[in-house]
Amino acid sequence: MTAANGRRAGRSAGRNDRGSAGRERVGFNANPLLMVAIPAWRSKLMLFALFVGFVALGGRAFYLMGGVTTEFLQRQGEARYARTLDVPATRGRVTDRNGIVLASSVPARAVWAIPEDVEATPAQIAELARLLEMNPGELKRRLANDDRSFVYLRRQVDVEVMDRIAALKIAGVHSSREFKRHYPEGPTSAHVVGFTNVEDRGQEGVELAHERELAGRAGSRRVIKDRLGRIVEDDWLREPVDGRDISLSLDSRVQYIASSALRSAVEKHRAKAGAAIVLDVKTGEVLALANWPSYDPNARTRLSGDAIRNRVLTDTFEPGSTMKPFSVAAALEAGKVRPDTRIQTAPGKLTIGDRTIGDAHAHGLLTVEEVVAKSSNVGTAKIALDLPAQTLWETYTSLGFGQAPRLGFPGAVAGRLRPAKTWRPIEQATISYGHGVSVTLVQLARAYTVFANDGQLAPLSLVRLDSAPPMVQVLSPPTARAMRKMLEMGVSDEGTAPLARIAGYRVAGKTGTAYKIKNGQYVKDYVASFVGLAPVSDPRIVIAVMVDEPGGGAYYGGQVAAPVFAQIAGATLRTLQVAPDGPLEAPKALLALRQAP
Amino acid sequence: MIRRALLVLATLMLFACALGLITAQHRSRSLFVDLERAQQEAKQLDVDYERLTIELARLSQPASVERAAQRLGFKAPDPAQTVYLNLPQASAASPVAPGVKR
Repeated sequence: MTAANGRRAGRSAGRNDRGSAGRERVGFNANPLLMVAIPAWRSKLMLFALFVGFVALGGRAFYLMGGVTTEFLQRQGEARYARTLDVPATRGRVTDRNGIVLASSVPARAVWAIPEDVEATPAQIAELARLLEMNPGELKRRLANDDRSFVYLRRQVDVEVMDRIAALKIAGVHSSREFKRHYPEGPTSAHVVGFTNVEDRGQEGVELAHERELAGRAGSRRVIKDRLGRIVEDDWLREPVDGRDISLSLDSRVQYIASSALRSAVEKHRAKAGAAIVLDVKTGEVLALANWPSYDPNARTRLSGDAIRNRVLTDTFEPGSTMKPFSVAAALEAGKVRPDTRIQTAPGKLTIGDRTIGDAHAHGLLTVEEVVAKSSNVGTAKIALDLPAQTLWETYTSLGFGQAPRLGFPGAVAGRLRPAKTWRPIEQATISYGHGVSVTLVQLARAYTVFANDGQLAPLSLVRLDSAPPMVQVLSPPTARAMRKMLEMGVSDEGTAPLARIAGYRVAGKTGTAYKIKNGQYVKDYVASFVGLAPVSDPRIVIAVMVDEPGGGAYYGGQVAAPVFAQIAGATLRTLQVAPDGPLEAPKALLALRQAP
Repeated sequence: MIRRALLVLATLMLFACALGLITAQHRSRSLFVDLERAQQEAKQLDVDYERLTIELARLSQPASVERAAQRLGFKAPDPAQTVYLNLPQASAASPVAPGVKR
């Protein structure tokens, strides 16, 4: 082949250019250079060099993959396909006793930005401000803040809104996942449920008290992602545990009844505040716990301490006459008096040592029943002074006064009941009708369940119970029944609270009107209260109402608090489907009240 | 001769196994992707359910029911207008009759 080429080349050369005929003998494979003898060691050296190169590669590969140190490359590799994802736990719901949602979390987004990365047209900024419900100027100011590398634009944005923000495709604006807590009932049950902060941690109420159960525990998982970012393999490092749901003892319908009745009373009497609580007598469950003023836990931009305060549990006050039944019950229990024992309360004054106590109206000779029904300070003091101080103290203490209720609720206070040894006679007298002792509304309400439940006292509960809790027998059943009769007389036309009566049900209760103490002095401001139970024939609920500093002229418990009781009791018993046990027509006092508002 | 045939067969089987492993791995991953997607969907449905529950609670809260009732001129019945029936086993023990939900 090569020889033929040579010949062809020779022919053409001969045809075109005779002058170059001398090249014909020098063919490609006839190059003189090929004639030079190459020493054999050179190719061997080359072969050896290649061999050394392969050995080095093999050694390196062994070193990196199977040998001494593999960590670095494995880490680098994993960093390219494996991720550790945090899996947040969903906070449990808070529901009422019938499963109505009072608080629940749904995912939301936190919108944040890196100011120096943000590139947006004015139109985009305006649209972003609109979606974030922010002032455009304020938004621009935040984005102009170049010395900060991270700035939250808004937290707890709805997912749909975030989707629309993402559609704007503004560089430098990002979002991260978080949860938003919703409180559908709003202000109605705000004081019981409480609220969480922006980090989804409980701050108040049940949200705080049951933080650990509600919060759950976040988990994390190691995943392998493919080229498209889809998860193809996973490995749970820690499974997330969702928060448990809490079922409260509240009945949201009763809660609403209590809350709206209280609100209208506070507004009508131009009072500073009010509180009400409804207890289930048989189980000690709190069916409703209302405060006014209240707040909306969904929009807490202007929260005042006054609105947050749960007065039922955290405010102590001198109970006044609502304390009397306990003193009388102690005397009945000790056998010192009987319901029909006559007590001389004339002339409506009683001097003990250098102090004189008195009644609002002078009454004369009263039976023990009438002392309670007409709320005579003198009569109660005389009955109480007949008893050893220790006996009185023991009765009060066994009813829960002077001790914080075991509700598991933040901020519940104990009130003040001094040890019996330190009582002087005048103090024993005043304590017996509710002055010189301080209580919370929840303590009062719980103590009244003793009269409603034939002398048995149940522990309080804010969570729903499936069975009745163990009871403590504090008073004998006959004493409790006798007290119930006296309390029912209290709402008769001759008693202090005819306005507490309702159509269809027999009710019983006791009014209280007490001066407030400010800076250690009694002042001309009042706390009007009423504690009652219904229906008398088989009590189911105890309701305690307290109105703080009524300012509209009326300030007696019978005028201010008793109508609230009536309103709550009537609607609650109907809601709970309790069969009526009383006359079905509306009581005259109530009709008169309705005609002359 | 037989040994060579066995060797070829074994080699082919090895290849078949290797391909099978790759297919199985691929299928397990694509199934996992599907599972992941389904779980994501389930989670989203949970969230939607939660949102709807909240919405329901908000719309049916007694305050709005009362407002609507007032607008329609409804009044709460008083006991005089109510007929009470005593069931043989009255659920008097619980404060709320079972099944009462709004």
